[in-house]
Amino acid sequence: MKTLTKTGIFVAGALLGFAHFASVAVAAENKLLPLGDPPIPGDNLQTDAKIELGKKLFFDPRLGGDASTACITCHEQDQGWGFNDALSRGYPGTVHWRNSQTVINAAYLGKLFWAGSSKSLEGQAKSAATGAVAGNGEADLMEARLAFIPEYREAFREVFGAEWPRISQAWMAIAAFERTLIHNDTPVDRFLRGDEDALTDQQKRGMDLFNGKANCIACHNGDVATDERFYNIGVPPSDVWDEDGLAQVTFRYELYAKGVTQKMYRHTKDDPGFYFRTKQESDKGKFRTAPLRYTMYTAPYMHNGAFWDLREVVEFYNAGGGENEFSANKSDLIKPLGLSDEEIDDLVAFLEGFSGEELKIDAPKLPPYAPLPDVTAN
Amino acid sequence: MKIRVPEHVSKGIATLALVVGGFTAAATIPVSASAEDFGPIVAQEINANKAALGKRLFFDVKLSGDSAISCASCHNPDKAFTDGLPLAKAYPGSDGFRNTPTLMNTSHKKVWFHDGRIGTNLNDVTRESITETAVMNMDMRLMQERVKQDPVYVQMFKDAGYGEPSNGSIRKAIPEYLKTLTSRNSPFDKGEMSEAAQRGFDLFKGKANCAACHSGPRFTDDKAYNTAAPTNADIWNDPMRHQTYVAFAKFMGIENYMNLRRDVGAYIISHKADKSDVGKFVTPTLRELKHTAPYMHNGTMESLTEVVYFYNQGGGQDVNKDSRLKPLGLTSPEIKDLVAFLETLSGDLLTSSEHVWDQPIPNSYEAYEDWRNIAN
Repeated sequence: MKTLTKTGIFVAGALLGFAHFASVAVAAENKLLPLGDPPIPGDNLQTDAKIELGKKLFFDPRLGGDASTACITCHEQDQGWGFNDALSRGYPGTVHWRNSQTVINAAYLGKLFWAGSSKSLEGQAKSAATGAVAGNGEADLMEARLAFIPEYREAFREVFGAEWPRISQAWMAIAAFERTLIHNDTPVDRFLRGDEDALTDQQKRGMDLFNGKANCIACHNGDVATDERFYNIGVPPSDVWDEDGLAQVTFRYELYAKGVTQKMYRHTKDDPGFYFRTKQESDKGKFRTAPLRYTMYTAPYMHNGAFWDLREVVEFYNAGGGENEFSANKSDLIKPLGLSDEEIDDLVAFLEGFSGEELKIDAPKLPPYAPLPDVTAN
Repeated sequence: MKIRVPEHVSKGIATLALVVGGFTAAATIPVSASAEDFGPIVAQEINANKAALGKRLFFDVKLSGDSAISCASCHNPDKAFTDGLPLAKAYPGSDGFRNTPTLMNTSHKKVWFHDGRIGTNLNDVTRESITETAVMNMDMRLMQERVKQDPVYVQMFKDAGYGEPSNGSIRKAIPEYLKTLTSRNSPFDKGEMSEAAQRGFDLFKGKANCAACHSGPRFTDDKAYNTAAPTNADIWNDPMRHQTYVAFAKFMGIENYMNLRRDVGAYIISHKADKSDVGKFVTPTLRELKHTAPYMHNGTMESLTEVVYFYNQGGGQDVNKDSRLKPLGLTSPEIKDLVAFLETLSGDLLTSSEHVWDQPIPNSYEAYEDWRNIAN
């Protein structure tokens, strides 16, 4: 315990030297809390009919360019509601350039995507369905398709009260469905609510490391286990980009499409992350702290799927992170931790406590197209 | 009677006495050419390297969003760069609502697409076709990076003087290739017309008055008219086609698009308040008709005889129908003569390697070696 205390003081001291980390350095905020119900936006309240509609739309590939890619295509139930490859599947003819994140508990996040480019599930659904290496759908056509599915016409009328479905309403319904994909009865949650038996002794030792020597809590804190801030922790660039021509295509496309200088377009070989949003040199290589629940089912990990199991992740942190093209921006919080093998095992065991039963639902039956009825007047 | 229009009014509006099937009427109509304007299409000067590059791009599925189709998927050289279908197939997940037009002599056109919505150049037409959701649904930035990943293209762009591949030069190279698609060796151009065809030509210029709109070397004035051609019910009975039209009409700013049950034609771009442009479509070329059935903007007519019968009865029924469309009073032998003439306007299919990229084009991408150390 003596060692732990010393480390804690040392980290806090280091943090105080950096004004921009001031808020996370307040020790009192740095604790885990049990996860309650997700926030529901006042302009998109939950109703059973809306959730049911959203579930169908989540599974419906017609909300994509060539009617082959649904939300579920890159967020598969049996792959942790994500995609079990380093980089996400991507639209046909492409590969994505980042790891697909789980949809489970996305409802709690105020910053969606790895660099936080969407502020809401509604906005995230829209971006994912329209991006060239994701859904590649176009709003007018997707909206038109919905109008030719009688069951959807009826459901949109019931839920939103309009004569014809609107694509923005589709994103609202999908978001409502996603707000039901909640994972807040994990061993960690039960323990934090007072059930001392919810965690094993090993997991409890791991929790102490999490909160102390390993200092995971500096960023993975609060009820969602993320501070939703952006850090460069030194994740190395994806080696997929060295070997896969299609991935090289997408990488350059992202630089081009998101807007970088000519010099950056020519020479950048790593994901600049949060830089795309701020265009500040100091934000290169930063990504939003990932939440930790459901991670037993969501390998591989990190924004580019660099690590294939939780032990590899912990070993990465234990080594003081790694190096990437933007290591000048690497967070000072990332330092060698000096964890023993046994301590690593304990920490991994605790991290596994953030996952409960796997969440599976029955895939809905998708309603067919039908011709529109005749109209008398044109 | 032979209609002769002086050269100096060939691009304007002329008032002339119009004789159609025994009816004489004074009408103000656009006239764009005299009979003397008919003749071979003049081949254009081509930059061989640019055209060769454009040819490969034309046949490359990498230019569509999901890499499933190329320009040639609908514009098949074996059918004079059409698809033989009443209505085009469109991008996967959609289905088309118009007949695929031939690309023969397309670089001579002044407006493109059946509704004439583009009147600038083939660069814009290429952009529209590549990016339009229901056509190739391609983000051109991604297209550029795909092309840059293909070493054959990197060399071809260099040889063409474009430097490295870019989406801008892709849209220059394809039009350069399209310039090579020039009609050649038609019996009409070679002066090898049968007597029946010669009689048909006289009818074309005279009694049937086809030449009022089908004028010039391509036999079109590039203007839009309402001939009241029948609608194609398949568009409105098939949700895949209808939804594609809805998305198009919505995107183009047409009001009440959910309740449309007809193709509004040139109105899509003019938005004329009196709706007089509803149902107008651009006069199609008559070159290569033998290879490009079925006919009309929506493919509703299977044979040239059917088309001539349609005009002989004075076109279809519509409030906006062009006033010149009146029963022509052609006899059965005259109809045969006219069809014989129309058939003389078809020449060679351009199916050799001169016009077709017949080498395999890989649809996968090799990684650049030493990727981290080379410039993107």
